[in-house]
Amino acid sequence: MSRFFTTGSDSESESSLSGEELVTKPVGGNYGKQPLLLSEDEEDTKRVVRSAKDKRFEELTNLIRTIRNAMKIRDVTKCLEEFELLGKAYGKAKSIVDKEGVPRFYIRILADLEDYLNELWEDKEGKKKMNKNNAKALSTLRQKIRKYNRDFESHITNYKQNPEQSADEDAEKNEEDSEGSSDGDEDGVSAAAFLKKKSEAPSGESRKFLKKMEDEDEDSEDSEEDEEWDTGSASSDSDSEEEEGKQTVLASKFLKKAPATEEEKKAAEKKREDKAKKKHDRKSKRLDEEEEDNEGGEWERVRGGVPLVKKPKMFAKGTEITHAVVIKKLNEILQARGKKGTDRASQIELLQLLVQIASENNLGEGVAIKIKFNIIASLYDYNPNLATYMKPEMWQKCLDCINELMDILFANPNIFVGENILEESENLHNVDQPLRVRGCILTLVERMDEEFTKIMQNTDPHSQEYVEHLKDEAQVCAIIERVQHYLEEKGTTEEICRVYLRRILHTYYKFDYKAHQRQLTLPEGSSKSDQDQAENEGEDSALLMERLCKYIYAKDRTDRIRTCAILCHIYHHALHSRWYQARDLMLMSHLQDNIQHADPPVQILYNRTMVQLGICAFRQGLTKDAHNALLDIQSSGRAKELLGQGLLLRSLQERNQEQEKVERRRQVPFHLHINLELLECVYLVSAMLLEIPYMAAHESDARRRMISKQFHHQLRVGERQPLLGPPESMREHVVAASKAMKMGDWKTCHSFIINEKMNGKVWDLFPEADKVRTMLVRKIQEESLRTYLFTYSSVYDSISMETLSDMFELDLPTVHSIISKMIINEELMASLDQPTQTVVMHRTEPTAQQNLALQLAEKLGSLVENNERVFDHKQGTYGGYFRDQKDGYRKNEGYMRRGGYRQQQSQTAY
Amino acid sequence: MASRKEGTGPATTSSSSATGAAGKGKGKGGAGDSAVKQVQIDGLVVLKIIKHYQEEGQGTEVVQGVLLGLVVEDRLEITNCFPFPQHTEDDADFDEVQYQMEMMRSLRHVNIDHLHVGWYQSTYYGSFVTRALLDSQFSYQHAIEESVVLIYDPIKTAQGSLSLKAYRLTPKLMEVCKEKDFSPEALKKGSITFEHMFEEVPIVIKNSHLINVLMWELEKKSAVADKHELLSLASSNHLGKTLQLLMDRVDEMSQDIVKYNTYMRNTSKQQQQKHQYQQRRQQENMQRQSRGEPPLPEEDLSKLFKPPQPPARMDSLLIAGQINTYCQNIKEFTAQNLGKLFMAQALQEYNS
Repeated sequence: MSRFFTTGSDSESESSLSGEELVTKPVGGNYGKQPLLLSEDEEDTKRVVRSAKDKRFEELTNLIRTIRNAMKIRDVTKCLEEFELLGKAYGKAKSIVDKEGVPRFYIRILADLEDYLNELWEDKEGKKKMNKNNAKALSTLRQKIRKYNRDFESHITNYKQNPEQSADEDAEKNEEDSEGSSDGDEDGVSAAAFLKKKSEAPSGESRKFLKKMEDEDEDSEDSEEDEEWDTGSASSDSDSEEEEGKQTVLASKFLKKAPATEEEKKAAEKKREDKAKKKHDRKSKRLDEEEEDNEGGEWERVRGGVPLVKKPKMFAKGTEITHAVVIKKLNEILQARGKKGTDRASQIELLQLLVQIASENNLGEGVAIKIKFNIIASLYDYNPNLATYMKPEMWQKCLDCINELMDILFANPNIFVGENILEESENLHNVDQPLRVRGCILTLVERMDEEFTKIMQNTDPHSQEYVEHLKDEAQVCAIIERVQHYLEEKGTTEEICRVYLRRILHTYYKFDYKAHQRQLTLPEGSSKSDQDQAENEGEDSALLMERLCKYIYAKDRTDRIRTCAILCHIYHHALHSRWYQARDLMLMSHLQDNIQHADPPVQILYNRTMVQLGICAFRQGLTKDAHNALLDIQSSGRAKELLGQGLLLRSLQERNQEQEKVERRRQVPFHLHINLELLECVYLVSAMLLEIPYMAAHESDARRRMISKQFHHQLRVGERQPLLGPPESMREHVVAASKAMKMGDWKTCHSFIINEKMNGKVWDLFPEADKVRTMLVRKIQEESLRTYLFTYSSVYDSISMETLSDMFELDLPTVHSIISKMIINEELMASLDQPTQTVVMHRTEPTAQQNLALQLAEKLGSLVENNERVFDHKQGTYGGYFRDQKDGYRKNEGYMRRGGYRQQQSQTAY
Repeated sequence: MASRKEGTGPATTSSSSATGAAGKGKGKGGAGDSAVKQVQIDGLVVLKIIKHYQEEGQGTEVVQGVLLGLVVEDRLEITNCFPFPQHTEDDADFDEVQYQMEMMRSLRHVNIDHLHVGWYQSTYYGSFVTRALLDSQFSYQHAIEESVVLIYDPIKTAQGSLSLKAYRLTPKLMEVCKEKDFSPEALKKGSITFEHMFEEVPIVIKNSHLINVLMWELEKKSAVADKHELLSLASSNHLGKTLQLLMDRVDEMSQDIVKYNTYMRNTSKQQQQKHQYQQRRQQENMQRQSRGEPPLPEEDLSKLFKPPQPPARMDSLLIAGQINTYCQNIKEFTAQNLGKLFMAQALQEYNS
């Protein structure tokens, strides 16, 4: 079973594909263990054997060994510890001991230990030499063992009477230590060799035993396999045949079966037929009749000359090659799937061979489709690892296979394919009723699409290889389109939504140059464009998107598909400069509110959409909207990550390998990327157009806020430069332009923003570059004018609008409107003198000094207030009285202050 | 300008433009009980300080050095000085004391007065009233009673008049500093306000007669244009900067007051609690008495109600002092500038 198919529905369909229930079960059972390594399989069997007896006994013997070691070095403390452990371990092993009887070696250690302790006890001199701990341990241990041994009295006496025999018994058990055992009982402090052997023996034995079991297992497996192969001997035969002619297989395919292999085949088939005959007599008889009906099958490969030659023969033995046989075989192959050691490549080839056989025998489309499904599935299975991607040849094979499958499906509208069709209710050959095959073409195609993305993700985007792969995109699209057509007829709405989404995902990011061209030419000559339209493919991508998305909006019940569709729709609108539609859709969808709950890929899509929206707004000259749309992405400083266009280099602590892998899988393929430099440039330029006039207007305002932090950051970086050369990078250009704009020097600003370098880097990336450039120039002129007025209005008493329009190369009405707007918004304290076309400044803006003084006054006011509060505390209950006074004072002060300001103003005005 | 004219010290024989005497009339004439009533600075010292700043200090960085001299009657004569090296991070183990001692020893060998009579420091727009200055001046004055700190303002000097002032801590402040208690009560007891923290000592710049003669000669030779900076009418930059600094200090002051305010509130709240507690206690005791039970044992109230830590007032005093300095500066500056403006007006009228 595939480990890749994680979603329930997929695995379901797969399992049902793999055959009848009886067959599926063992496969499913194996599935759990399959991911284990081969060596682990061995351990598996080991565990089974050991679990009962040997495990416990090994534990015991290990303990015994340490006790013996401790005895040898007279470490009684250690002995005591180990003895206690031994007692516990024995307790654990109790159940086995009950069954098997008390093990010899256990009795022996007990006996030996007691002897040893008694010996030590009697040895007064030795005891004196002992350290305190040991002496203490000795007495405790002696008492304990005496008590403990009471339970085993009979065994021990038995043993003591007949140590040889018992040793022999042991020897029987552990062949190896037969010599050691005799030494062993003579004195406790026996040879180490013995101990070692003793302890090793059981494990050795068990190992041996295991081996045996394993062999047996293998044998049984083999026999099972044999049986399997027997039942369907054809497969083993074809297997061997394949081994012989592995190279010829491909060739033979092209040759449409060389006669030589044909011979072999026949033999194989004969063999198989014989076997099958016995088993599927009854079934085959029934099938037989149907087969004749199926002979009109249209599978392409069959059409060669060879099958025709073969046909008569097949008919002669037609009773043998039946659907049941083929399906049985198919199930066999599928059973091997996912198992360790199955050669996935050979499996695919096997399946392909099976298709050929089926087609040669005219088993009909039902079987062919079923096998094809499985071929594609095994192609997907080919890579055991999620991270790796399909090899090109595999990929090609997969595409071909799906195409063939689609061919069949289109050619036979009476075939029903669906994942909801149960295995039992499959109808592969009964032509009277519509054919029913379990399997989901949509899932396969979706999987194919994912594989394609994976391939693109894993190819170096700057290599020729990438271009080669990208060429397959058309094929992928074609397949999706075909599936779409197919499902539109047969699929459920849910499926249609899914396939529409696939289609949308392959459409939304592509700029429709044809439609664009058409739009451009439309006003000039409509007749010609009509012709063009006829020539062009039927549908505008805009219309297509509209149609698909609307269907999804209406019919989809899963939120995710709809969200994706909306985002793609917005993206598409934005890409084609339909700003208002895009904006309205975005606002209507309310996605901003809950997008943070979506899964990362959708979030990435959302970010991409927002960015595209911002860029679209910029192209339309809506700098503010552009800035707002891009603010979130840009301000974080990790646009790259947010757009899924690359991983940021971060320390490994923040992200472990697993996470990195997941993130890597989320990356958007290179051909969908949004140019980051373009993005940043658009952001910075719109920030410049907003920020510079704002800065000029609020130069001395203490509460001035930054519109764009990032832009300020860039400015600061520019200021910090010790040596200011001509700008190199895009950022430096923007910074230089900003500086020029600050002075109201629009020409310099213009030359910094639009020049060869910037064209190459940024502006030429827009589909309508010239339009954007003219828009930009105008914006720069306007904003420079505003900045100029803000900055230098204090210098002028009045200024002629004509002069301004000359300076900024804007026509008079524009200048007039800009200035009027500024006056209305109270940004510029001035009035327009209509007859002379001049702006008369009112000179009410305080100068820098006055501003400072005002601020100081404000601060002092708060200081005084704070101070008075302290005073209030001192006064305590009398506060009320003083407060009145204070209020009066404050009022007075406020009046004074304002009065002073007025005075200052009038002073400067003159 | 005006101050320059007033400030010609009695002992100076000349007031050359380069080392324009800047004895301040504003310094408290009755510098008081301290023996030193006047600081007499050698021209050499002034030049050395200026040179030190020009070579090493820039922007907000300050330069510092040691003054050497001797006390004659009620006069502190500063006859020489040497600079401190600028601190950098990489020579953190530089031993200042060692350096000073060695420097002084070496200077003694060449027969220079080696009495350590104080130190000098440059300033940025007159912002020198800081804790650091207070601490070091305290330690100087603690060791050598006569020592003063010379504050050199390079920016004012660049505008045409030498700005060099001598300060020392008032005896009152010395006392408070000695006790290291800056609580409100202590300051109140010491009756210290920001006006009484530092006292200015009048300065006299003294040159040898030969130098004076040379100055006269140079004066004659120098072009008029060299002295023009004094007449510059531009004022906005300097004034703006000072205002900005003043504002910053006012902000700090505000914060300080808020802090103090919170302290006050806390104290009064606690007082109230304490009072309530006592009352309750008393009531209970009364009840107990009526029931014939023994009264509750007395408890230590100070343990129950720990008074909140009073904020140190020294900082706010310093800030106030600094604000005062700024205000003086602004007053002085604006007065001068107004004078200049009126002069310019008169000139214009005369010309037209």
